[in-house]
Amino acid sequence: MAVATASDPSPIQVLADFGKSKSLRTLLRVLILCFIAGAAVSSRLFSVIRFESIIHEFDPWFNFRATKYLVANGFYDFWDWFDDRTWHPLGRVTGGTLYPGLMVTSGAIYHALRAMTIPVDIRNISGLLAAAFMGITPGYISRSVAGSYDNEAIAIFLLVFTFYLWIKALKLGSVLWGALCALFYGYMVASWGGYAFITCLVPLHAFVLICMGRYSTRLYVSYTTWYALGTLASMQIPFVGFLPVRTSEHMPALGIFGFLQLVAFIYYIRSALSGAQFKAFLFVGLGAVFGLALLALVAMTSAGYIAPWSGRFYSLWDTGYAKIHIPIIASVSEHQPTAWPAFFFDLNMLIWLFPAGVYLCFQDLKDEHVFVVVYALFGSYFAGVMVRLMLTLTPIVPPKAKDPEQEDVADISSKKTKQSAGSLRSANSPYVGVYSFLSKGLVSGIMTIYLLLFVLHCTWVTSNAYSSPSVVLASRMPDGSQHIIDDYREAYQWLRQNTKEDAKIMSWWDYGYQIGGMADRPTLVDNNTWNNTHIATVGKAMSSSEEVSYPIMRQHEVDYVLVVFGGLLGYSGDDINKFLWMVRIAEGIWPDEVSERKFFTPRGEYRVDGEATETMKNSLMYKMSYYNYHTLFPPGQAQDRVRGVRLPDTGPVLNTLDEAFTSENWIIRIYKVKDLDNVGRDHAAAASFERGHKKKKATKKRGPRALRVD
Amino acid sequence: MKSIAACAATLLSLISPIVTADTNVAVPSVSKVTLPATFKPPQVFKNANLVHVISLEKNFAKEQINVVVENDSKEPQDEYFLPFTSQQMERVGGFEVKDRKDSSLTGFVVEAVEYDPLSDTQYYRIRLPAPLPPKAQQTIGISFHYLQALTPLPAAIEQTDKQYLVYSFSAYCPSIYTTVKQKTEVKLPGSDIPEYTKIAGSGDVKEFPQKSGAKLTYGPFPEVPAGAVSPVKVRYEFTKPVSHVTLLERDVEVSHWGGNIAFEERYTLYNQGANLSTLFNRVKWAQSQYFNPTSYALKEMKFPLRIGSTDAYFTDAIGNVSTSRFRSNKKEASLEIKPRYPIFGGWKYPFTIGWNADAKYFLRQKTGDSYILNIPFLEGPKQPEGFGYEQVQVRVLLPEGADNVKFHTSIPKSSITDVVVDQQKTYLDTIGRTVLTIKARNLHDDFRDRDLIISYDYTIAASLRKPLVVFGSMLSLFVGIWLLSKVDVKLSSK
Repeated sequence: MAVATASDPSPIQVLADFGKSKSLRTLLRVLILCFIAGAAVSSRLFSVIRFESIIHEFDPWFNFRATKYLVANGFYDFWDWFDDRTWHPLGRVTGGTLYPGLMVTSGAIYHALRAMTIPVDIRNISGLLAAAFMGITPGYISRSVAGSYDNEAIAIFLLVFTFYLWIKALKLGSVLWGALCALFYGYMVASWGGYAFITCLVPLHAFVLICMGRYSTRLYVSYTTWYALGTLASMQIPFVGFLPVRTSEHMPALGIFGFLQLVAFIYYIRSALSGAQFKAFLFVGLGAVFGLALLALVAMTSAGYIAPWSGRFYSLWDTGYAKIHIPIIASVSEHQPTAWPAFFFDLNMLIWLFPAGVYLCFQDLKDEHVFVVVYALFGSYFAGVMVRLMLTLTPIVPPKAKDPEQEDVADISSKKTKQSAGSLRSANSPYVGVYSFLSKGLVSGIMTIYLLLFVLHCTWVTSNAYSSPSVVLASRMPDGSQHIIDDYREAYQWLRQNTKEDAKIMSWWDYGYQIGGMADRPTLVDNNTWNNTHIATVGKAMSSSEEVSYPIMRQHEVDYVLVVFGGLLGYSGDDINKFLWMVRIAEGIWPDEVSERKFFTPRGEYRVDGEATETMKNSLMYKMSYYNYHTLFPPGQAQDRVRGVRLPDTGPVLNTLDEAFTSENWIIRIYKVKDLDNVGRDHAAAASFERGHKKKKATKKRGPRALRVD
Repeated sequence: MKSIAACAATLLSLISPIVTADTNVAVPSVSKVTLPATFKPPQVFKNANLVHVISLEKNFAKEQINVVVENDSKEPQDEYFLPFTSQQMERVGGFEVKDRKDSSLTGFVVEAVEYDPLSDTQYYRIRLPAPLPPKAQQTIGISFHYLQALTPLPAAIEQTDKQYLVYSFSAYCPSIYTTVKQKTEVKLPGSDIPEYTKIAGSGDVKEFPQKSGAKLTYGPFPEVPAGAVSPVKVRYEFTKPVSHVTLLERDVEVSHWGGNIAFEERYTLYNQGANLSTLFNRVKWAQSQYFNPTSYALKEMKFPLRIGSTDAYFTDAIGNVSTSRFRSNKKEASLEIKPRYPIFGGWKYPFTIGWNADAKYFLRQKTGDSYILNIPFLEGPKQPEGFGYEQVQVRVLLPEGADNVKFHTSIPKSSITDVVVDQQKTYLDTIGRTVLTIKARNLHDDFRDRDLIISYDYTIAASLRKPLVVFGSMLSLFVGIWLLSKVDVKLSSK
């Protein structure tokens, strides 16, 4: 954002002179905005240029699939969509459990373009939609590069726009703007679960304003309009439904709504009563109302009308909470606390410009500045707690950081503006400032260098870190040319073309959406982690021995099992590395059958080589990952390149599964679940017969013959 | 360039008699002659000498019948019938007839004759260019091929095994006429022929067939009555993919403004070879790639494109496939693609390729408003083991407003099943582009680079339509907004 303001002092001087005419200023503003938009869009196209127009990550594949369904079947069918190709055999009430904003938006764009007879694939829209919104901070780019067809793509735009409308409404005290704010709030609710951020921040802002004694009718009008209309709008989304009046997350907004009525009433009373009477009234009345409200809240919570805080919310306060109570949430890397370097990586020099901006806000504290300060505080906190919420912070940092720079630039560019504008600094100390040409040049030069560095950093981060579509991996050939490792799609395409249309695929839930989108096959679990038990069942099947897993897979009609194995290539995001989470989640439901401890050696190491524990070696996941792997190497040299260990010479033996497909670099391995044996043997016996072993004599020890006596 | 023009001009002269389609009129070009159910072809000919060559070198069966026909009746005759079983009828394609003595003689008309759809015997009727007088002889060469006629035996084999195919045919060439003398030659891809049917010999040969290397010869046989068959089978090694495309959709979009012709082809590809008896094993595959690269799995396809082709792409249902190579220079333009996985027998791999080409190589202005487009009918992969197409649908999208569409193609006419000219709207079209759709069936890669020549009229007014429409709609949009801004909707004017 700050990019556009960066340039040498002399052109700015020129511009400032020109800028006096109003029409020219408008023109400049439009031009600069156009440039910003151009930069924003083109920086997001890095991924398309470096890789291709492909949908990234995991969730976008679901959004893509949902959008296709919406476009093909129309809105009402979409609303009632029951998806029997996920969560086999339970199915998922998809229409009622998603945020439809993104799909409806792209569906609308699709139909609009179709109406103009521009033939456009739904894939193209989903690819580029994300790129069409907002600036160039890396933190946000992580979720909005072209191809990242995720809810956040439009949600952050809506978030910022809702805040803008809120401030506008607050400034003007206008019902119209308040209603518009509510409308966009509704849109936001339809788009992203993060709407709770608005639901909490706006009441908080109102509360802080009241506490600062800044209550005004403008606040009353805008808040009540927003709350009443916004809540109604949000309740139209089936997934949200009655949550706004039934869960604790939404209670602050309701509470502040009541509180505002009270405050308004008190103000009215004060204008009608004398001082002493008012004081008495205030204490009694306020105390009573507050006590009653609290009592009602507690009663309704305990009676079950209001749900207590959800687990995901608790983990915002206690970062260790999820790991103990709900491993499924903790197992998502996005839900981990943010590492310090990530802040510097994502925000770069904005980190130190940001507090300066907050400081400047205090200098001139109007209602909207209070909002910005509140936002800044909360955004920083949430970003620290969860990587994913870094997103909510990023929109506020650039504008804040921009402030001190602007101040600087403004200082230098024209003394006249400084004096006549009557800005706080110049009013207080008209003689403090930068006047000499040397210091002017120095400061602006440094600023320019900083800005250029920032742009450089942003560009680098965007093109290198955030533009890789995780489905494909890029590597370099010996001659320096780019080589794409495309194992995921190789295997998904194989599944799609060469298995039965309704073959059920069992895999860890991370790959559920991708299998649904790319392989078009039913899955047992996917990234919509709505049923913890079902996920734990898959975890149990993966972490138990074949004898235990096979009945589970038969019961769930599994045809194929898919595992991700990075050992050959050194791809660290594979299933063996995620395996402990499967164990933990399974242990949460079946503590007697699965135990995390048994996967560690007595010395507490997590090993996969010859020293691995028996439980580990017998687990289905271990067997599927390393099955046949040693035959690829000369004897004694089988190596796992991720974990950097040498593997034993004899690989695991699989009795109940057949290897069906392994991708070129072994990243994806697919196994077919064997049918029951034709002659009723168990699989271990059948497989051992196949290998040519003699059938072991049944070692049933016969007791000494006893004479039957009746 | 000059020679192309000259060539086009001569071909243009050919177009006029074969006007097949007019704007907005769907003309079925397949003349399936319907005859009464009691039809029996008249016994008016005699095959004086017949050589039947069956070539199984590729993954389809190619047959060539060279026959000296003699008019056995009292009147001049011009209709020669060739029998097929109804099963063969579905798979036969590429029917072409030539005069073996005089190659300049053209005008053989080949038609599938339909008289009783339930009958097991169907006919192709060959109409000779000129009626044959009584007792006169003519030497004709009939060539056609069968797709999907080869079955793997055993039907499921190991990943590294050799693949064997079986082909069944008749040692006597099927004919409804008496054949005085004939022999059947079978050309095979190699000398590994573990099984073939042996039949009693004639003359000084005790037993047929006679085997010499990769060739089996049945015959010569003495006179054989009409309708006689002697079923035989041959099983031979063919460790190459049996690639078969069930549907090829080929779109050719002509842009006059851009001076560009965009090609896109969508293949639904199967390997009809032997299935895997045990599931795919990556280790074995990697090893066999290293030690013994011949396999019945399809690993790679090579598309030689016309010189000057650019911007080639290779995608499938889930996006770009990175394992392709495209070389385009002054001498050649070649697209080499590798499917995402090796395609074994019974496996399927649908994919899409496309490329652009400069219009100057294909499009020529004849006079004023009339243009001639000369493109290959088929540009599939060129594989040494062959490539069969069950259904081919070529769609040529001409510019919006093009009319008076005529075409000529050197693809055998009996292979074309349907021709339609209609409209399709894309990219800001108002009335839609003229689309010529030609459907053909049972072709194979020997027919690649056969010409498809299309002539059409395209006026300057039609070419200006789109810019004017865009300009007009933008203008009306701005004027509309300007008018709206003039409307005063305030309740009270202060």
